Amino acid sequence: MKVHLPESLDALWDLLDQHPQAGIMAGGTDLLVSLRAGKQHLPTVICLERLAPLQTIEPLDQTLRIGAGVTLTRILENSLVHTHLPLLHKSVASLGSPLVRNMATLGGNICTASPAGDTLPALYVLGAKLSLASAKGRRILPLESFIQGPGKTALAKGEILDSVIIPFPAGFGVQHFEKLGQRNALAISVVSFAALIRTQDNLVQRARFAWGSVGPTIVRSPQAEKALEGNPLSLEALLRVADLARAAVEPITDVRASADYRRRVAGNMVLRLAAL
Amino acid sequence: MKTLSFIEDIGRRSPRFDAPDKARGKEKFASDLYPENLLWAGALRAGIPHGEIRSIIVDRALSMAGVHAVLTRKDVPGPNRQGFVYWDMPVLCGKKVRHAGDAVALVIAETREILAKALESIQVDISPLPVVDSIDAALSDQAPKVHDLTTGNLLKAATITKGDPAVLATCDILLEEYFSTPVQEHAYLETENGVARLDKEGILHLIVSTQAPFRDRLEIARALGLDPGKIHITAPYLGGGFGGKDGATVQCLLALAALHAKGRPVKMWWDREESMVAGYKRHAARMHYCLGAKKDGELVALKCEIDYDTGAYAHLGVEIMALGLEHAAGPYRIPNMEAKGRCIYTNNPIAGAFRGFGVAQVSFAFEGMMDRLALKLNMDPLALRRKNALIRGDKNCADITMTHSTGMAECLLRLADHYLWTDRGKWVAAAPRFKRRGVGISAVFNGMGYGHGLPDYAVAKVRLTQSGTIRVYNGVSDMGQGNASTFVQMAVEILCQDRENMELVQPDTDRTHPSGSSSAGRTTYTYGNALIKACTALRDKLCNRAALMLLMDDARGFAMVPGAVRHLATGKEISLAALAAIMHPEDRLCVADHLMVTTPEMPQGGEAFSLGFPHLIYPFAAHLARVEVDELTGGVCVKDYLAFTDGGRVLNPQTFEQQVQGAVAQGIGYALCEAVQTTQSLISTRDLSTYILPTSLDLPDIQSHCVETIEHSGPFGMKGIGEVGLNGPLPAIGSALIHAGLPMNRAPFTPERILAALQGQADKKKEPPCR
Amino acid sequence: MQIKFTLNHQPVTLEADPSMRAIDLLREHCGLTGPKEGCSTGECGACAVWINGVTRLSCLMLAAQLQGQSVVTVEGVNPDSPDTLHPVQEAFVNCGAVQCGYCTPGMIMTAAQLLACERTPSRERIREAISGNLCRCTGYHKIVDAVEAAAQAMDREIS
Repeated sequence: MKVHLPESLDALWDLLDQHPQAGIMAGGTDLLVSLRAGKQHLPTVICLERLAPLQTIEPLDQTLRIGAGVTLTRILENSLVHTHLPLLHKSVASLGSPLVRNMATLGGNICTASPAGDTLPALYVLGAKLSLASAKGRRILPLESFIQGPGKTALAKGEILDSVIIPFPAGFGVQHFEKLGQRNALAISVVSFAALIRTQDNLVQRARFAWGSVGPTIVRSPQAEKALEGNPLSLEALLRVADLARAAVEPITDVRASADYRRRVAGNMVLRLAAL
Repeated sequence: MKTLSFIEDIGRRSPRFDAPDKARGKEKFASDLYPENLLWAGALRAGIPHGEIRSIIVDRALSMAGVHAVLTRKDVPGPNRQGFVYWDMPVLCGKKVRHAGDAVALVIAETREILAKALESIQVDISPLPVVDSIDAALSDQAPKVHDLTTGNLLKAATITKGDPAVLATCDILLEEYFSTPVQEHAYLETENGVARLDKEGILHLIVSTQAPFRDRLEIARALGLDPGKIHITAPYLGGGFGGKDGATVQCLLALAALHAKGRPVKMWWDREESMVAGYKRHAARMHYCLGAKKDGELVALKCEIDYDTGAYAHLGVEIMALGLEHAAGPYRIPNMEAKGRCIYTNNPIAGAFRGFGVAQVSFAFEGMMDRLALKLNMDPLALRRKNALIRGDKNCADITMTHSTGMAECLLRLADHYLWTDRGKWVAAAPRFKRRGVGISAVFNGMGYGHGLPDYAVAKVRLTQSGTIRVYNGVSDMGQGNASTFVQMAVEILCQDRENMELVQPDTDRTHPSGSSSAGRTTYTYGNALIKACTALRDKLCNRAALMLLMDDARGFAMVPGAVRHLATGKEISLAALAAIMHPEDRLCVADHLMVTTPEMPQGGEAFSLGFPHLIYPFAAHLARVEVDELTGGVCVKDYLAFTDGGRVLNPQTFEQQVQGAVAQGIGYALCEAVQTTQSLISTRDLSTYILPTSLDLPDIQSHCVETIEHSGPFGMKGIGEVGLNGPLPAIGSALIHAGLPMNRAPFTPERILAALQGQADKKKEPPCR
Repeated sequence: MQIKFTLNHQPVTLEADPSMRAIDLLREHCGLTGPKEGCSTGECGACAVWINGVTRLSCLMLAAQLQGQSVVTVEGVNPDSPDTLHPVQEAFVNCGAVQCGYCTPGMIMTAAQLLACERTPSRERIREAISGNLCRCTGYHKIVDAVEAAAQAMDREIS
């Protein structure tokens, strides 16, 4: 296997052109595990870690642009993330372990497009947009249209994800994230849940929910969101939302949990909002 | 004058002798050895749990550049059998495979990459047989036989009886429950490995991560038809063992590879996935318990049936079952018992020795019965345990008289006074929203040593070296528990030397003496007893030789001091180096042995076990767990953990706590998240992302307190506590869940099972009533 | 391919397959067996080393990624006085944080990096920081003790 570490985007475009079969590696924490397991074979790997343009975090007009190659540890250390995107902070902190987060990148977690991707529910409710770059230029795509299925994305040949644009959720007083794994670190999510809630006079004005690990991609439920709007964050109201959530998810059974359990918990997690 | 930062005497909290080199990354584990010019060996695993081998085509592998040999059954020179008591496990399968991890071919190659390709290229044609994937499947009338036994898949059945178990029917209170426990993986971080080389004289040298180098030598010789005198094994420090490196892992394969490597060293190192598939596990068990008691809580009778799934091969399954029966009714006074055990072959991964050896399973059942009895009687569960706890002079449930140290009642007494117990009501009441809390306890014990029938002995050797240092020749592997360091501490104590003057040799069949395996909580006890004799003999000898040099009539009035021997009355000293210079090398050596005492009592039915049953000496422990359950997810979190342990006298509080905390951690994993899962006998938890070990965020601080008794037969009054700590957490957490209103009969207590219990779905299968 | 990097504060140049794993390069080509292999999938952390001062998993890195980088293994954590122990190593020894010792090098790399960033982390914070390093022997209690003790010792040294 050949390994390239381009140091400029121009060099990257040339490499992508010369090696159309190449695998693209960000932090390597997924790709190298999958290569070792023989799940894929690659003649060439192109590592993105030395591309400076992918390494920046910059605020821009009530949004934060995070380079796809920024490690999760750096995201956790960033004060803007801490202040304006606590939901993202919580979800990133739940991923893998400190050692994994020292290597893994936000771009990598998105492009892996796992239904269990820990940052995805938060990024969905935050309305993240992706900047995709290629030799031809750049395009912007909402995250929801980028991820097309388990491990499937809208990334075209010769294209990479270069940054993630995340709007600050102004006015959303509740930024809640819960992940249930089989343990408290180094866990693949069994069910995860992200919620953004804006209230006025103790009534929910706007709610955004997303669930992970309970469908082929992240699950949204406009019905559940609508059902909460106009209500207080009471157990009674949330019980109705929980039922809608259970109806919306399409979980599977695997070595970690049964579909049935996942469905139940996807609803139960909504109830936690009553304890906030 | 030199100031010591730590006092090394017995009883003191001194740092371990092996710790500095391990902390530096300097210590060489077997896996750290890459001898010059090495070859890599690897086994091809069957991948099919049950079947007949039709053909193995190795031509492609053999023709690959860099492949030195591809070996199959026909290349195994000897009888090809491995095993402890039952020699039922082939080195390389020829006709039949009995589990997916069976080795069917062995490849020797220049590099790991070539090895992997060669293994991939071998075509094995196995015609599948129906899979025996559970105890029920194994015992059904139509079950295919895993081995060709007249008893079908029943490897061994036995019944231990005490008193008159029929009185059960007349008891005031009668309780009946079913319990089951999962397969647990040892999951030592250093997977099975070793290096081997055949030298020009025909001596086979192996350096292996093994708990039993001396037994390995005989095993390899027997399996491959070799002369044990020509096999030399060294066991460096192990990166964990816990029972899983007791028995053949890489040994015979590696030896076979070395025979075909033309004198080049061969390395075999199972990766994590291979370790999961081919390594030994803790036996899954299912248990049916009927307990009878008086209205005041006095235990009257127990009847139980305990089935162990030993997987494809016996390993120590029968002995493990024996310990299960021996401990079946817990550390309690109970006059009547009938414990029936069965050890059963299936096509599941091989179950074998694991810390808590058969007792970890029954601890869940007997303590579960105690909690249910307390609930039924509306009695304090701790008071119930104290009422029935064994004291010296009692006969235990296996009809063995407690003549040795018996600290069970005192452990419970100490626990009863602890704030984690006395404050439990307040703590439970303070549960936050969507959380439920419970506080539970357990009382456990674990027979120490090999038990009756297999002499538990050790031979210690200690030498004054030419340069005046003292060298201890440790004959029992140190798998991490720190026995080697304790041996140094013992020698330091008796010979009055500084640690800087000590040397330590790890087990080596050429240099150290056969001293049994590192197992059964016996390591420090048995070897330690031998070492005390050897060190005392050396001390006397050195004083005697000093007397000769100083022209004194005899050795009275001499004492050892750091670096020297001193005549106390005159203050005259001879340095150890000076003494060494005048002594013959053979005279600078003392060897002594020790044989553990066993009980002359044999319970009714115990004669079914040729070895390993019953025991005479038991460490005891009382544990407490504070548990919080999430009502929305079913997640269980152990918030606080407390252990009181009777291990006789404590030789080093630090290593004592290490053993307790480590065992508790493994026990909490066993209770909450660890389970080797199989579908049709194929492992689905194949690596460390699916087999769930607790991380630092999954375990609480573990408070460990010793309850010192004195074990008069033990070195400096100690007894082994390596295992007992593992038996406590599963029942203590189960007890806490009962306290929280969630009686659980199946371990581990996964969120999914807990959530079902929260929703009122019973955790038990319908089974026939008590017979 | 020729790989040049700094290894334990010394420049090295090696001829190696760029796609081999960093851990194999360190253990087999450089003779540094401090970094251990326990799982090969990033779960156990026994292979942790510092790359440019950041603790990373050497089983999930390719040799090519070391090009031009500064690599420190447990053998090089105390460059100023290699014969003595780093305060973290010393605390591990004194507090009984070492049992089988196989996780120890990775734990020490993680702990020493934590203490390079934070002077007095809480027990909770220490647990969080070492949560990517599995230990099967200790139950972590004494490892947390050791990191706490090392923090105090290093803090005293500074102030």
